[in-house]
Amino acid sequence: MRYVIIGNGVAGVTAAFAIRERLDDAAITVISAESDYFFSRTALMYAFMDRLTPRDLEPNERKVYDRQRIERVRGLVTDLDAGAHTLTLESGARIPYDRLLIAAGSRPNRPNWAGMDAVRDGLVNFVTLQDLEQCERLTKRGGRAVVAGGGLIGVELVECLHHHGMDVTFLVRDPWYWPAALGEAEGRMISEHIGRHGVSITHQEAIARVLTDAAGKVTGVVTESGKRLDCDLLGVTVGVHPATEWLSGVRTPPETGRGVVVDRAFRTSLPDVWAAGDCAEIRAEGRAPLVEQIWYSAKRQGEAAAKSMLGDGVAYAPPIFYNSSKFFEIEYTTVGSFRAAGSREFYARVLGKEVSVRIAEADGAVAGFNMLGSRWNHTVFERWIAERRPLAWCMDRLHQAQFDFEFGRQDLTDIRRQFAARRMEAAA
Amino acid sequence: MIRQTARDRIAHDLTHRGVSAWLLAGAITAFYLALYYTEFFTGVAKAVGLDSKWTLYGLLYTLAVVTGGVFMIRRYRHNRYQVVRTSVVMAVQTTLAFSVPQILKMVHQPEYYFSYLWPLKLDYGTPGYLFHLPLGYILYSVVGSLILVPLAAALFGKRWYCSWICGCGGLANTAGEPFRHLSNKSSAAWKFEKFSIHTVLGVCLLLTGLLFATYGAGNRYPMLAKYTYEYQSWYGFIVVAMLSGIVGVGAYPIGGTRVWCRFFCPMAALLGLTQKVGRYRITVKDNMCISCGMCSKYCEMGIDVRSYAQANTSFTRASCVGCGLCAEVCPRGVLRLENVSRPAPQERLVQIAAAGR
Ligand SMILES: Cc1cc2nc3c(=O)[nH]c(=O)nc-3n(C[C@H](O)[C@H](O)[C@H](O)COP(=O)(O)OP(=O)(O)OC[C@H]3O[C@@H](n4cnc5c(N)ncnc54)[C@H](O)[C@@H]3O)c2cc1C
Ligand code: SF4
Repeated sequence: MRYVIIGNGVAGVTAAFAIRERLDDAAITVISAESDYFFSRTALMYAFMDRLTPRDLEPNERKVYDRQRIERVRGLVTDLDAGAHTLTLESGARIPYDRLLIAAGSRPNRPNWAGMDAVRDGLVNFVTLQDLEQCERLTKRGGRAVVAGGGLIGVELVECLHHHGMDVTFLVRDPWYWPAALGEAEGRMISEHIGRHGVSITHQEAIARVLTDAAGKVTGVVTESGKRLDCDLLGVTVGVHPATEWLSGVRTPPETGRGVVVDRAFRTSLPDVWAAGDCAEIRAEGRAPLVEQIWYSAKRQGEAAAKSMLGDGVAYAPPIFYNSSKFFEIEYTTVGSFRAAGSREFYARVLGKEVSVRIAEADGAVAGFNMLGSRWNHTVFERWIAERRPLAWCMDRLHQAQFDFEFGRQDLTDIRRQFAARRMEAAA
Repeated sequence: MIRQTARDRIAHDLTHRGVSAWLLAGAITAFYLALYYTEFFTGVAKAVGLDSKWTLYGLLYTLAVVTGGVFMIRRYRHNRYQVVRTSVVMAVQTTLAFSVPQILKMVHQPEYYFSYLWPLKLDYGTPGYLFHLPLGYILYSVVGSLILVPLAAALFGKRWYCSWICGCGGLANTAGEPFRHLSNKSSAAWKFEKFSIHTVLGVCLLLTGLLFATYGAGNRYPMLAKYTYEYQSWYGFIVVAMLSGIVGVGAYPIGGTRVWCRFFCPMAALLGLTQKVGRYRITVKDNMCISCGMCSKYCEMGIDVRSYAQANTSFTRASCVGCGLCAEVCPRGVLRLENVSRPAPQERLVQIAAAGR
């Protein structure tokens, strides 16, 4: 049996190892256009900041692939023929498969600002190793950079450019940083934190036009409010989308929507073809279509898709959502949801510190946690949400979820005091 | 990789095995050779009013620890574990490992280093040396080595000694800080470490045994005494002078800060074995690791921390000195140093499986 996987990201490689663990005699091939070895995309910023070498980003020792007999092929897949069970690479090479997993990840969104067509150089994304090379080439101490897009990748790129001594302007379209996930108070706290580092962060401002010189090199941007910002590097971090473009030209394209459409067993519309990770869109009766684009989900989906390819019955259901990030020095943990109907929220910031707590309660049970500036064990929050614990019950036990350094446990007295005061207000 | 200014380039060269790193390694080695085998530093010591080259060495060593420690505390001031630990290291170095022995000498007491114990300091377990000390020192040595060391390691892990008290670790975790990432992370290095450190431990235990035998029966068996003393002097040359001094510190800019501690120190070997059965562990938050590799990169003992973190396995490695830097650099707060009384049984099984991998 020949298992072929397109994409050597965390979804693809997790699946490859999971298949090997069960099948000793299967041939397993992983194809990637981007890199020879699986690397940690999440750590791109540390390579940019020179804290890690590109080699350090590889989570496995290289000899593991030989030991596990996982064949690595470098190349871009340009054709998929489900009838003949064959892939074709850009080089013309053909790769037959018995079972195929598409784990092609995501691609950066490209906004349609005026002037984009003329751009030949100076515009960077921050998703691939090739993007990293471009970023490094364009980074100069004292140079000017504009980064557009107030999400997680944007902050990471801003931190890197700032680290290398660039003069960075961070354009955030929203009224505060990342309203998709953060409340106004937290968003402002993060913005202030970023600003204090010397980055000029602007809210409710977006790019209208990109300016280029005769050679097509970006020289600046004009914002929607008409402000002109000169720059040597324009970072575009306005989100990512599942990588499906390449499938539109293949002999037998699988059904795509936002991503490659799969069922809860990660089967695509094509026989013997599965898809998982950032590129997959899971559709199931009675559920909203699901595209998960984070590391943890890609790993989980890769694992589950491998099971499905091995013939196990799989009905994927994502666990309670959680994620983590870091904004310069401020660590962030989030668990659950803040969108439940009729939810109330408790928010408190520790006096004089960049530490905050936001907890949502719906129907008498906690539904979501948004924690900034100190460390928490998300699994405790997951349990409380699953057990439908009331907010007050959780507040009494908040220390049980703390995960700070030894001797460095965040003092919760102030937060508890604020909670008590708030409750009395509600009672009055 | 971007290195723009001259300062960036020099700093990078020095901390990434460039030409300047090799020069520095050469200079440190030359320093140790001159210290051990010439009287050059005796002259220097006399010139600055110190009684011997060893006092001068102690002074320089203490200065390096204190200066490096100040930088360390500044850099990690947001992390109280690092602040407390580094403060203790600096305090121990300036008192027990430097000024206290000098004062003892002045008041005609033995020049005794309370922060060093057998088997790291062989003398303190050598009857010929130890039994000439006043009773209090003998008791301290025996209780320290045989009870305090293993007991504290079982309760808190080897960190209580290796990264809170010990001068070798003290220098590594202060002045040596810029070089910590150079440790070798390969599984081959791990294999070699298990072999080499336990070999030195065996050699050291055998020597100690022979020294006791010689003390008791050396008069009757002159050949035993002769070979034992020869063995002892080879141990002093190879293990103490070469491995702990020249290789241990000279290799900082090339092999990282803990070459001695990781591959050769007999004390670390004993503490490590105790740690494996004790309470100390690094707890891994379930499914939160993004496999970035910062923890492995900045582990001075060359532990591939990421391999445990991405497999969601809390773990105890014999070599871990509990410096806590993995937890500090982890951008997702995945890791925490803990003394747990009883790991859950299923975790025990996973640990055993991981250890056998
Ligand atoms: C800068 C950055 C930081 C991030 N930080 C975090 C974080 O902190 N936490 C978190 O949870 N998530 C983070 N993410 C998201 C996370 O990295 C992704 O969700 C995850 O990597 C997706 O894994 P994947 O295996 O699905 O796809 P990918 O890792 O994208 O791998 C897909 C691979 O397939 C290859 N490929 C695609 N099409 C073809 C083709 N036709 N032929 C050959 N090869 C092809 C691509 O070149 C790529 O190498 C971050 C992402 C970025 C860009
Ligand atoms: S530093 Fe943290 S997130 Fe990165 S590999 Fe280590 S444990 Fe995982």
